[in-house]
Amino acid sequence: MTDLAGKNNLQVYPLSECALTIEFRKSIDDAIVTRVNAFDRLLNKKGMPGMYQTVPAYASLTVFFDPLILLNSSLPGKTGFDKARNYLLELNEEIGLSLELEGSSLITIPVCYGGEFGGDLEYVAAYTKLNNEAVIKLHSEAVYKVCMIGFIPGFAYLGGLSPALEIPRKGTPVKVAPGAVGIAGSQTGIYPLETPGGWQIIGRTPVCLFDAKRSQPSLLKTGDRVKFEPITFSEFEKYSGG
Amino acid sequence: MKIRIKKAGLMATIQDLGRHYYLSQGVPVSGVMDSLSAQIANLSLGNAPNDAVIEFTQSGASFVTEDDVLLCLSGAGACLKTEAGILPSNCPLFVPAGTNLYLENAPPGCRSYLAIAGGWAAPEVLGSKSTYVTGRFGGLDGRCLKDNDILNSSGNLTATTMVIWDSLKGGAINHPKWSVGRALFLPDARNTIRVMRGREFNWFDGPSTSSFFSQEYTLGHNSNRMGYQLKGKPIHRVFEGELLSTAVTPGTIQVTNNGDLVLLMADCQTTGGYPRIAQVAAVDLPLCAQLKPGDPINFKEISWKEAEKLYIERELDLRKLALAIKQRYNVE
Repeated sequence: MTDLAGKNNLQVYPLSECALTIEFRKSIDDAIVTRVNAFDRLLNKKGMPGMYQTVPAYASLTVFFDPLILLNSSLPGKTGFDKARNYLLELNEEIGLSLELEGSSLITIPVCYGGEFGGDLEYVAAYTKLNNEAVIKLHSEAVYKVCMIGFIPGFAYLGGLSPALEIPRKGTPVKVAPGAVGIAGSQTGIYPLETPGGWQIIGRTPVCLFDAKRSQPSLLKTGDRVKFEPITFSEFEKYSGG
Repeated sequence: MKIRIKKAGLMATIQDLGRHYYLSQGVPVSGVMDSLSAQIANLSLGNAPNDAVIEFTQSGASFVTEDDVLLCLSGAGACLKTEAGILPSNCPLFVPAGTNLYLENAPPGCRSYLAIAGGWAAPEVLGSKSTYVTGRFGGLDGRCLKDNDILNSSGNLTATTMVIWDSLKGGAINHPKWSVGRALFLPDARNTIRVMRGREFNWFDGPSTSSFFSQEYTLGHNSNRMGYQLKGKPIHRVFEGELLSTAVTPGTIQVTNNGDLVLLMADCQTTGGYPRIAQVAAVDLPLCAQLKPGDPINFKEISWKEAEKLYIERELDLRKLALAIKQRYNVE
C-alpha cells in the first residue's frame, strides 16, 4: 500500500528564482498522476501569494510565482522559496483521501489510421508481431489519461497504452503533420503542430488540438481521459472540410 | 507614430516580457531574450516595462520614420546610426519623419531592443504580444518582421512620455543629456555566468561537474531563441536513471544523452526529460542573450539564496529607475 497522503515522499526543490517543483515520486504510476492533479486543483482553488501558473507533469507539480510578492506576504519563512515551500507542504496535509477528479472529461478523438496518414503503422505491426487491424483495435479500444501537456503547445502525453504496442522511438526525428497520432515507449500522443517528431506515426486526426484563438487553446488538459475512434479517409476529409 | 522596416536583418520580432499564463498548456514563455535591455528601453521613454519592443539580432537592419517619433534603443547587438553619425542608446530620441536609421555593428553583443513611445501596437494573443514563430502566433501574425512592414505605436502615452515628447520635439533629431547607465546593472560583456546547481547535479561524475565550473564552453552554431548548444568536454553520468519529464524554464542547462550541454532560452519547451546540471541566475540571463555563436562562456556557482537576493535587487533597481525618470520630468 502506497503512502499517498503522507508528506514523506514529497521533495520540494527550486527550478528558478520564480519557480519551484514538488516531486511526488520518481516513477510513472496512475495513482501519482491522480495525486498531482488533485494537488494542482487544490492549489489553484486556494491560490498562493504571487502565484501565476502551475505545470503538472507525470510525478511533479511546478509552481511559478513572483518572488517579490511572495516575499512581502505574511507566510512563514525568510526567503521567497522557503515561504512557498512551507505553504505547499502545509497544503499537502489538506488533500483528503478522496482523490477522484471532478470535472475530468472523456474526449473522443476520431483518427484515420494507416495509409498516407499513418506511415509507420506497418512497421509497428511488424515490430509488435501483430497485423494492422490488431494494432488499430488495441490502440482505439483503450481509454487513456492525459498525464502531462508539454513539448509543444497542446501536446498531450497519454498514459495507458497496451503493453503489446510498446515500441522504441525513431533514432532521428522526422517532420510530422498536425494531428499525427504517434506511439513511443509506453505512451501515445497527438502532434498539434507541424514539427519534427520521433514517435512512430500510426494515424492522423482532423481535430484541431491547439488553437491560440480559443479561450482554452489546448483541447486536452492534464487529467482528461481520451479515447480514439477509427474513421475512414472520406470521413476524415468530410471532418476537415466542415 | 510609425516606422517602415527597410531591412529586417538576421531576425527581428515583436516581443514583450513573455506569455506566462499558458505554460500548463505547453505554450512557451517567449518574450525578449534580454529583459534588462528591453526594460531599460521602455523605461527611458516613460513606457510600462512590459510594453512591446522590437528585438533585432545583430547588425544590418534599417528602417525609416514615417512620422515624427520618440524612440529608444538599448541592448548590445548594434548601435543606431543616421547618415550623419551614431545616435546615443539608452535615452529617449526624438526623430523627425523621413529619417533613415541603421542598426550597425560596434557593440560586442547580439541583440538590440527598439522601444517606441506608447509601445509597439500588436494584438494580444494569450495575454502577450510576444512572437512565437514555431507556433505561428503573437507579434505580427506570428512571424519575423520583413522588409516594408509598417509598425505603429499603440498611441497610449503615459504622462511621463508626453512630457518627454514635449521636451524634445522639433524639426531635428533631439535627445536629452542623460542616458541610463546600463553598465550599472550589468557589464556589457561578461562571459562568466552565475548558475545554481540543478536538481540532477549529482547524476554526473566528479571530474565532469568540476570541469563544468572550470572549463570554457563555446556557443554552437545551432543556437537560437529556443536554446543554445554549448560546445566543450562532454559530461559523464554516474547515475543512469531516466528522468521523468518535468517542467523546465529559460536558463535551465540540460545534459543530453551524448553528454552535450543545452542552455534553454526564451522559446524553450515547457517540459523536458534530460537531467539538469544547473540553472542560470535570472539576473545573468540578459548576458546569455547577448552571446553569439562562437562566443566563449563559462560558469560560476552561486547559492539559490544568493540568486533570489540578486533577483529581488534587480527588480527593485528597475522600479527605482522608473521612478527616477518620472521625477526628472516632474510627473507624479
